[in-house]
Amino acid sequence: MTQHHRAPLLSSPNVQVPVLLGSLLLGAIALALAASSGYTHFVISLVAISTITGVGLNILYGLTGMISFGHIAFQAIGAYTCAILMLNDASFLIALLVSAALTGLAGLLLALPAVRVAGPFLAMVTIAFFFVIEHGIIEWRSLTGGQNGLFGFPPVSIAGYTLSERDLSIFASCCAFLSLFAFHRISRSGWGLAMKGVRDAEIASSSLGLNTRNVKIMAFGLSAVFAGIAGAIYTPLIMFIAPSNFPFSDSILALFAVILGGTGATLGPLLGSFVTVMLPELLSELAQYRLLFFGALMLAVLLIAPSGVSGLLARLLPKSLPVFDEPDADTASRWLSNAVAAQDLTVKQVCIAFGGLQAVDNVSFVARSGKILSVIGPNGAGKTTVLNMVSGFYKPDTGEVCIQGCDIAGQPAHSVSQRGIARTYQTTRLYEKLTVLENVFSGLQHGKLGKPFESLDTQSRTQLAIGLLRYSGYRGNPDVLAGSLPHVDRRFVEIARALATAPSVLLLDEPAAGLMRADKEQLAHTLKDIASLGISVLLVEHDMTLVMGISDDILVLDAGKPIAFGVPEAVRQNPQVLAAYLGNADFSAPARATTLPTDAETLMSIRHLSAGYGAAPVLHKVSFDILQGELIAILGANGAGKSTLMSTLSGMLRISSGEIILKNQPVQNLPAHDMVAHGLVLVPEGRQVFPELSVLQNIKLGAYKRKDSVAQAELEGILNRFPRLKDRLHNRAGLLSGGEQQMLAIARGLMAKPDILLLDEPSLGLAPSMVAELYLILARLRDDGVTILLVDQVATLALDIADRAYVMEQGAIVAQGSSESIRQDKMLASAYLGAA
Amino acid sequence: MTLFTMAVVTGLALGSIYGLIALGFQITYSVSGTVNFAQGSVVMLGAVSGYMIYQVSGDMPWIAYPLALLVCGIAGAVIEAVLVRPFAKRGNEGWLMATVAGGILLDNTALFTFGNEPRTFPSSLVNDTVQIANVGLYPLQLVIPLVTLSIAIILHVLFRRTQQGTALLAVVQNASAASLMGINTQRMITASYVLSGMLAGLAGLLIAPLASVHSEMGVLFGLKAFAVAILGGMTSASGIMVAGLIYGITEALVTSYFGSSFTSIVVFAAVIAILVLKPNGLFGRSGVNKV
Amino acid sequence: MCNTSDRHTERRQLPVSRAFGTMALAAFMFFAGSASAQESIKIGLVAALSGQSAKSGEAITRGLTIAIDEINARGGVLGKPIELISRDDESNPGKGLTAARELVQREGVAAIIGGLDTPVSFAIVPFANQMKVPFVGPWAAGTGITFNGAEENYIFRVSAVDEYVDEAITEYLITRYGAKKPGMILINNPWGESNEKGLTKALEKRNMDHAGIEKFESTDIDVTPQLTRLKNAGADSLFLVANVAPSAQVVKSLDRMGWDVPIASHWGPAGGRFTELAGPSGEKVHFIQTYSFTGELNAKGQAVLDALQERFPEIKSIADVTPAVGIANAYDAMLLLSAAIEKAGSTDGPAIRQAMYDIENIEGLIKTYTDPFSPDNQDALGPEDYIFTNFVNGEILPLDF
Repeated sequence: MTQHHRAPLLSSPNVQVPVLLGSLLLGAIALALAASSGYTHFVISLVAISTITGVGLNILYGLTGMISFGHIAFQAIGAYTCAILMLNDASFLIALLVSAALTGLAGLLLALPAVRVAGPFLAMVTIAFFFVIEHGIIEWRSLTGGQNGLFGFPPVSIAGYTLSERDLSIFASCCAFLSLFAFHRISRSGWGLAMKGVRDAEIASSSLGLNTRNVKIMAFGLSAVFAGIAGAIYTPLIMFIAPSNFPFSDSILALFAVILGGTGATLGPLLGSFVTVMLPELLSELAQYRLLFFGALMLAVLLIAPSGVSGLLARLLPKSLPVFDEPDADTASRWLSNAVAAQDLTVKQVCIAFGGLQAVDNVSFVARSGKILSVIGPNGAGKTTVLNMVSGFYKPDTGEVCIQGCDIAGQPAHSVSQRGIARTYQTTRLYEKLTVLENVFSGLQHGKLGKPFESLDTQSRTQLAIGLLRYSGYRGNPDVLAGSLPHVDRRFVEIARALATAPSVLLLDEPAAGLMRADKEQLAHTLKDIASLGISVLLVEHDMTLVMGISDDILVLDAGKPIAFGVPEAVRQNPQVLAAYLGNADFSAPARATTLPTDAETLMSIRHLSAGYGAAPVLHKVSFDILQGELIAILGANGAGKSTLMSTLSGMLRISSGEIILKNQPVQNLPAHDMVAHGLVLVPEGRQVFPELSVLQNIKLGAYKRKDSVAQAELEGILNRFPRLKDRLHNRAGLLSGGEQQMLAIARGLMAKPDILLLDEPSLGLAPSMVAELYLILARLRDDGVTILLVDQVATLALDIADRAYVMEQGAIVAQGSSESIRQDKMLASAYLGAA
Repeated sequence: MTLFTMAVVTGLALGSIYGLIALGFQITYSVSGTVNFAQGSVVMLGAVSGYMIYQVSGDMPWIAYPLALLVCGIAGAVIEAVLVRPFAKRGNEGWLMATVAGGILLDNTALFTFGNEPRTFPSSLVNDTVQIANVGLYPLQLVIPLVTLSIAIILHVLFRRTQQGTALLAVVQNASAASLMGINTQRMITASYVLSGMLAGLAGLLIAPLASVHSEMGVLFGLKAFAVAILGGMTSASGIMVAGLIYGITEALVTSYFGSSFTSIVVFAAVIAILVLKPNGLFGRSGVNKV
Repeated sequence: MCNTSDRHTERRQLPVSRAFGTMALAAFMFFAGSASAQESIKIGLVAALSGQSAKSGEAITRGLTIAIDEINARGGVLGKPIELISRDDESNPGKGLTAARELVQREGVAAIIGGLDTPVSFAIVPFANQMKVPFVGPWAAGTGITFNGAEENYIFRVSAVDEYVDEAITEYLITRYGAKKPGMILINNPWGESNEKGLTKALEKRNMDHAGIEKFESTDIDVTPQLTRLKNAGADSLFLVANVAPSAQVVKSLDRMGWDVPIASHWGPAGGRFTELAGPSGEKVHFIQTYSFTGELNAKGQAVLDALQERFPEIKSIADVTPAVGIANAYDAMLLLSAAIEKAGSTDGPAIRQAMYDIENIEGLIKTYTDPFSPDNQDALGPEDYIFTNFVNGEILPLDF
């Protein structure tokens, strides 16, 4: 469950938790001693048992993010084991230990299938497990007594001393608080960190060297152990054990107790159990209406207080962040230069294809120790795919990835990480619900779990982590949640986390995307520093100023093939590279034959438009007009904000300020599906046809918002524009080639009879002949009077058919004018390949 | 042989019911990525409301059936709006527990409005038995698979031939592209829950004359149907119908040949085993591991 | 974590301790309980009031209510009115024990009535004996409930006993139908299992073989696979143990198979709507009863029936007075218990227990109890009180046997 705010006392490590736990335990014992009524002792024991089970579930669900609807089955296994042993004159303590061990074993066994599935599939595995255990207990009558259960256990005695009800409640309370304390320690240890990592970002965990499967299995086993202990104490308390003691609904209740108390919070199970055990007792007057009331309460809690009781309590606390001593400025670099083993990364002739598409074709390079190698290329060139093959997420079809003289191609990500390869991601994959510091700790752990009860935040480790953060450019407080960080800081923290594994090779996937100029300079500085420590830096990046500024070598890919390799200056001059970015001169689309009438009306005005994702603004006060019948091209490098502009105009992305006026009506912040009715249609990047629907169905869906029906003649008119679609009308759209899909997407868009058609990267990933055909069609649309706003990588082509063009850089318009004037403008080339 | 025939016939009818309910899971899961864990309670609601309307309307099934379906459709919409949407919007899994709570509420409300005594749902299809291949059957047992099959076919046709149907499929395949077509995805999610509720209600109405009507009748149906939906892979409608039949027939065959003591153990162990071998179900597609 | 966070400790603890203080206060108020003055004699009821057994729980509640109304109208017991305090056990032994403890240790009830499900009773038995609080069972028939081996046995029962019932229905099948190889079709719950034991014992005693033991779930809508197995194994008669709705499923499945076989049943089908659920073939099931409101009623029966209809307007026909055994057993149990309390002259557990052995000539619904309990026999009803009945036109009528 998402918890956006932080509960400093209750969900994060804090020195006072043991004190608090201790005083609560003393309170429980005092209550037990003071109470004369056996009922009080009984209820204390029930709360304690529920708490222990809750701790187990909290490890599984709260820390590791895996749900279990069958946890009561573990409690049943524990209870029966204890019952059977006690009936056979085993001492209670022995029975308790054996129950815990056996239940843990059952947990490990269930984990084997359970870790292979997720979401509703995992829920089903645990439900099925419950039923298998329940019916197993019913049928194994010689051992379990069947439906009518086991009873007649000897009284509990420990070392010759027979426990009274009061003693038992004190014993149960001690076990409960030991469990809570264990949870507290585990959650601060390397184990807990690994579990939380798996929960928040499993992929990132594996590229930090963690075997996530083992972590999940371990969590399941550990979780079961606690349920087993709870079951073992339940036996002497109830003195009668039957299958009906463990109904399915109690699994739900146990889960609810954890959520109610606060998922992942140390005290959560206690608070939750307090409510789920005591409340029914308080409501006992309601008799048969109790469940009704309870269901309503459950719902109310989920809706009103999703972070549970501990979340509510945390809100009462003043929010203050601890202040840390700043480490010496060279802490990180000193540590890194000692820890890093200089290694070259050699990639030899790797190839990979996805469903017939050759994504990477015969790429080779050497990332040299201490140097920065950049991989660049237009969208869809296969750059990220190369990173994914190196870091173990894809297995190359052929070729080698060598480090330390070993071929590691196809090894799992965590092994690759252990070989000294670290990486960051295009969209950062931080552990959102962990602090910045914990994020770096998980890098320092580098897949090791350490001791289960040993806290990670020692003075020296904290100092080192902060050192790494500062080294990577993060200036903020290390104790805030990573999920609350602004975009730029997320980048820096991710780099710090990767560095914490002391890698030989650091892979960075578009680290500069979304960064402001000053931050980029900071980043450039950091990357150079990193390389100077002997680390091989492999950089995939669109920002050419950055790439040209810091790279030792540049590899250029186009459509999966390497087309150039060399020092920045050589690459910049390479005509093949220029053609790949700006388009080929081989083909030119026809310009408008007759000039546009000068008195055309303004169809759409964009005024000071700003927008972005979350905390990261991408567009800065963009303004321009589109006249009726015009074809406008928006040009710029990747990451300049072109696609964001298109998303914003189409209503997919909310604007943060500014206006969009369409046909004299303000339309900003309308949802996307309403924009269609207002006459604006976006043909999105990547075509996005509906793959399982036929071509005809796709086309007809375009007319979804139209009130009139689609006449046959109109359909034929559209198909005449796209003759390729005619023969495939009844084929599934997913079977079309990329070019055909692009035609279909445009045809689909035209069916809405839009006043303005937005085209986002229509030529992306298409074969040259297809691009030519596409542009002829676009030119014809323009000539037929369709108003078009076009974004395309291939600047030369877009300029061929456009009336006017705008050049974007860093989310702002940096140049504008007629197509001719833009074509001559030096800004254009520099926008794509960086200023010379 | 009679044993076998009997088991298959029993399994077909029950399996169709499981499939019908599971289809409801599939539809909401495909459209919104969420499922209604109170689906079993909606099955009960179909039977209970059908029974009550039937009594009030004076034995007029042609009023009772559509009205009961309407009730279940509305229940679906309410479940989506109150128990699912608030959590889906926050991007968390709270809907999971919330729908469970909703089920508890529905069951217990029925207990106090409908009563705690099982009742018989009248139907002319269970008054007499027909003999087929030496096996005595209620006509309803044959009608159930037929109705289910027709529903599956009707849904298939609706989804492919009508504009709203294809729009729903479009949301399933690519929600953001669908909204670019002007399709209100939220409304489609609501529609999927309405449909899901009606399917559950229909299952309740169909099974009620064979079983008996009471407030807890839906719980086990809901759980088994969920198992069927999972085995079918959650996303494939035809896969789920097949999984339903496999589940129903397996259950009946195990009972027939090994005795009922082992039915639950064998069937649920098989569910786990199948998920070990095929983590995305028998007919589910494995998602592309996107990094 | 860091040396600076200690500074915040004090500041933070204030609101936290306030929060936990509130919790502690709630806990205190909870455990302090309701220490109201003893103006009434409290009797606790622990039964399944929700879920699948809710109907039976309701019947017990109704029987008790009518009896208490009657007693209170006469001036109560020991000059004080009887107050019934009901708790739902959700058929879960753990919940049942919790409820029993709450009733005894917090509410201070004089005695507990209840335990619908045998396991729930099993869970309460040791506690009741330990606390020396009488526990009277009006329903659960598990043999071991009253035969629990305690030296001072505080457990009494006004209901059937599975072992006796099983003996009776075995005898019935043999003498009436000449059964040689009966088959068992039992509900898969503790009740079914308890009778599996009893029936097997009864057959073993007679050196008889059985055609098989088949179980089914209360939610099963088709029992033909199980019945076909019994038929194929050569069963010439059937033992049936299940509640109303599942029993009806067995009858319907038999109908479909076209298998006309003698059936002797525990009292499960005794619900008023058995034939509505099972169809006309429901009349073929012969089942055991302790009491039925149908047929010609004696004065006591008529009076209780009238009281029921007056007190619970939702009772419109005799079919709504169901399950009759629950009402009758509970009614009689309450009469016996109140007589014992009166006799004991106090609400002290051991005194009540002793008085239970001394009561005599109490006119109940099922019979007039003369000396119903003794330390050797904690069951007020025995095999001689069972009658075999079946449904005829929606009414439960005794069979000649």
